[in-house]
Amino acid sequence: MKLIGLAVALAVVVVAPWVVPDPFYVHLMIMVLMWTVLGAAWNILGGFAGQVSFGHSAFLGAGAYTTMILYLSLGIAPWYGIVLAGIVAALIAVPIGLICFRLRGPYFALSTLAVAEIIRLVALNWESLTNGPVGLLITTLPPVTFAGSPINWESKIPFYYIGAVIAIVALAVTWALSRSRLGAYVLAISEDIDSAEALGINTVQARVSALALSAFLAGAAGGFYAMYFRYIDPDAVFSIALSVEMVFIAVVGGLTTVVGPLVGAIFLVSLGETFRTHFMWGHLIFYGLFMMVAIRYMPEGIWGKLRLMVESRLGVKNG
Amino acid sequence: METLVQSIVSGLLTGSLYAMIGVGLTIVFGVMRIINMAHGDMVMLGMYGAFWAHTAWKMDPFLSIILWVPAGFLGGLLIFRFLLKKIVPGGELNTLLYTAGLSLFVANLALLIWTGDYRTIKLPYAMMPLRPLGIAVPIPLAIAFCLAILVTAALYWLLAHTDIGRAIRATSQEPEVAALMGISVDRVSMITFGLGTALACGAGVLLAPSLYLYPTVGEILVAKCFVIVVLGGLGSVPGAIAGGLILGLAESLGAVYVSVPYKDAIGFVIFLLVLLFRPAGLLGEGKS
Repeated sequence: MKLIGLAVALAVVVVAPWVVPDPFYVHLMIMVLMWTVLGAAWNILGGFAGQVSFGHSAFLGAGAYTTMILYLSLGIAPWYGIVLAGIVAALIAVPIGLICFRLRGPYFALSTLAVAEIIRLVALNWESLTNGPVGLLITTLPPVTFAGSPINWESKIPFYYIGAVIAIVALAVTWALSRSRLGAYVLAISEDIDSAEALGINTVQARVSALALSAFLAGAAGGFYAMYFRYIDPDAVFSIALSVEMVFIAVVGGLTTVVGPLVGAIFLVSLGETFRTHFMWGHLIFYGLFMMVAIRYMPEGIWGKLRLMVESRLGVKNG
Repeated sequence: METLVQSIVSGLLTGSLYAMIGVGLTIVFGVMRIINMAHGDMVMLGMYGAFWAHTAWKMDPFLSIILWVPAGFLGGLLIFRFLLKKIVPGGELNTLLYTAGLSLFVANLALLIWTGDYRTIKLPYAMMPLRPLGIAVPIPLAIAFCLAILVTAALYWLLAHTDIGRAIRATSQEPEVAALMGISVDRVSMITFGLGTALACGAGVLLAPSLYLYPTVGEILVAKCFVIVVLGGLGSVPGAIAGGLILGLAESLGAVYVSVPYKDAIGFVIFLLVLLFRPAGLLGEGKS
């Protein structure tokens, strides 16, 4: 049953850009995939490990700059760059985690906000590395042939498939985490950190590992962001607003679920981008609205709610 | 020497406004344990209130504080009664996420209505700064400073000498015991949230003539608020006042003696250090 669902979903992902070739919808789907990765990244830390971060744009930005700088100054191709972006973001996450995880709950959240702001200011002022507020721009991507024919980077479709691969990896990582020892550790930590500690779990190590994994995915999404938009500047990729968007997609979709970030991204990004085509300003208005609705009426998120409804309809006992 | 005095003066002027915003945030945290992510957006609404009072009704922006402080109080009461009341029992992280939602909603509604364009208020009497003893004091900031001290002192008096003030302090210290003593914690919470919002709106009105106005200005302000209240210890009113002045001084001295581009980072670095090494705040009376 689950396998059939998975196969159908994969088939939909593969044929989608050919069924709706309109550039707006392809762009929309790419954005949904990118935000799925970012939501999934946040969900690993904020959902499974229960550590609310308001600073995840730090990892997105670090990834975006890594890919961009490696390509511009060393000529390293973006597909290696995206993986390296994830690694750099994860490396940055380790010291941040060691510092910020001394704090708990809302204090941790505030400290991540401060760290992200400091990193944004560094990126803004370290002009020899980041080119400061002017930002970095690439005009062409290196030629690649796939199955014998060159890839046309002016089309959005190659980006769609690259985004799809990263999103599938992100969801697969989440699924693997949910069945792993680390997953069990961080769930225990999010339930009750003192008891987890008493049971002999190294809570600092477990939380830092979850943060590094989360940062890896956010960094890879940042690398993808840089290559897709081909332009980045500190205020675009390090903003508080981006961190907050990730939180909202994960929470509205459904925390601590594998599919939640995908559902959240489909729902919120479609609303936001459609709103943007009609109004110049304020496309995040529904993010805020649905965040409030979700916290008040369905803290388990859209996907969590759907699952509960289906389970009660089928008479399955929810364990 | 003159630069030093100059930067201390401008630091204190800005710091007084920071203190006013911080006090609003800290009393709300003290009573309800809400870290209000939307506090900066209330400041933004106050700024736009002053702007429109000036542009549409030809009212002096500083005078419009008599309109927007009561309006902020009323708005705060309504927000608490209809939005936050049901969320508070869910714990600090829930209210944090909920007010983050409220913040994004308010900021984007403002973007939709007023667009993201930068606006300024031009006052005829504010073209030239005052120059007592050779130190430049911008007139709008000087007026804002005096009014901020007045408002903060009035709030202090309210907390120290009135029944509702005593009830607020009691609830802040021990909600259960306060409830046992016959204080309606619900009512106190609502009034406290109203006061916090009123202070934010008032500070927004006072800041409007000195800053650029744009709908997402709250994002930066709220980050600064957290620095202020954590510096002084979350929940402590004198702490928030001290925190506001310290941040103002740190920014203006930092801009002169450290570096202009990193002036905004100084606050965040102090913030992290205080969180890590003195989580109860510099004055040590906050709750960690």
